[in-house]
Amino acid sequence: MEKHISHIAGNENQMKEITQGASSGNFSNSIFKKFFLEVSMITIFTLRFFKEVWKPPYEFNELLRQSFLIGYKSFPLVGITGFIIGLVLTVQSRPTLMKFGAVSLLPAMVAVSIIREIGPAITALIFAGKVGSGIGAELASMKVTEQIDAMQVSWTNPFKYLVVTRVLSATLMLPLLVVLADAVGLFGAYVGVNLKGSVSFHLFFSQVFQSLEFKDVFPAFIKTFFFGFAIAIVGSYKGYNANKGTEGVGKAANSAVVFGSLMVFLIDVVAVQITSLFEN
Amino acid sequence: MKQDLSNKIKLGVFVTLGVAVFIIGIYFVGERQQLFRSTFRVSGVFKDVAGLQAGNNVRFSGINVGTVESISVVSDTSVRIEILIDEDTRKFIKKNAVASIGSEGLMGNKILIISPGIGTKNQIEDNDKIATVQPVNMDEILASLKTTIDNTSNVTSDLSKITHEIQTGKGTIGKLLMDKSIANNFDSTFVNLKSGSAEFRKLMEKAKSSWLLWGF
Repeated sequence: MEKHISHIAGNENQMKEITQGASSGNFSNSIFKKFFLEVSMITIFTLRFFKEVWKPPYEFNELLRQSFLIGYKSFPLVGITGFIIGLVLTVQSRPTLMKFGAVSLLPAMVAVSIIREIGPAITALIFAGKVGSGIGAELASMKVTEQIDAMQVSWTNPFKYLVVTRVLSATLMLPLLVVLADAVGLFGAYVGVNLKGSVSFHLFFSQVFQSLEFKDVFPAFIKTFFFGFAIAIVGSYKGYNANKGTEGVGKAANSAVVFGSLMVFLIDVVAVQITSLFEN
Repeated sequence: MKQDLSNKIKLGVFVTLGVAVFIIGIYFVGERQQLFRSTFRVSGVFKDVAGLQAGNNVRFSGINVGTVESISVVSDTSVRIEILIDEDTRKFIKKNAVASIGSEGLMGNKILIISPGIGTKNQIEDNDKIATVQPVNMDEILASLKTTIDNTSNVTSDLSKITHEIQTGKGTIGKLLMDKSIANNFDSTFVNLKSGSAEFRKLMEKAKSSWLLWGF
């Protein structure tokens, strides 16, 4: 592990050199170097996670505490977002379906949209905004105030205690949040359908489940694990490797959200390709 | 410590709720595909399945009672389909039931329709082969429609020739309708008839007073 740390520290020094190089003129070259160095560091960080996650002692209590903060505490935000998205999507889709005289397809169409894409993607983005930035800022301020170094000295493994628990709980909590957001979103869609029309709950319910198949549900569910993992690992990486000073904290929180959201879309595009590969 | 415990309970509620919603969702999605119900399998052979796919619904008297499980090509002229039907509806489907392929609305999915058999009391059994009716192919409809349209165009062109000839006064009907001399002839004939009948009447009046016809 020490080897890893020294390696990362070495990378940080290289990074500083490159950043200084950028200001002194050799711009395009250093941008590429900086990018590839970032990629290599985040890969090492991820590999380290997979190495540390199996090793005892397991920080079980901290995992539960983080799951509470990351999962339970995010539910109100995610729930409200899900409800609004379900409602708005339904109301917005109605005029288009009306043109085709297919308003009766509204519940089926909205259900497939929410379950396959809107639910997971919107929840993951909200999650990146709330949890990704939280992890980034928290770890960065610990880094800046040298708490991480202090843990190192007191024989606690900071990576295990701080990063592994957060990444694990985000990976496990996001799928649950997505399932609940989907449920709330479908309820929002039910309200949306009934704003201008009249569909009984029973009919709505049966139309929704008529339209859904396992090939809609499972790929959407599986990709949320990857979303959660990516958001937390990016957040942790940015926080763990924050620059010194208060500016470093803000920067870490900011780039945790930006890169976390970007990762969500990248994973999404890969997931949709893989899913369509199996569908044909 | 107490706070910690209550947080753990809240987390427990959250996780249970999430897992429960997921399982209920999976159950209802699976229910539609009849994964958790007891079903029986029957098969049928079609010449052409007209776009039917595995997973399409099977309807009996307008109710979804099953799904198409698999479709496979048996030979160059036959396609075999396997269908799973809900066990509860077995008692209504007789051995001589007939399967046909229809569609849900104008643009909807294809469905397999089972019409109940009549005149027998034997229920359908597992792995029975069900009789089928070949679906009406859209191409065939269009082909027959083309012959109809060709015939219609012949008929209309003949009709237009006829009406043209009538209008120009050719042929018997044309002359009858368009030739004024015929009408004039008719007219003069009627005039002659009229005067003739008047003369005849006078003659008859005279005849009445004639002694030769007394007693009539």
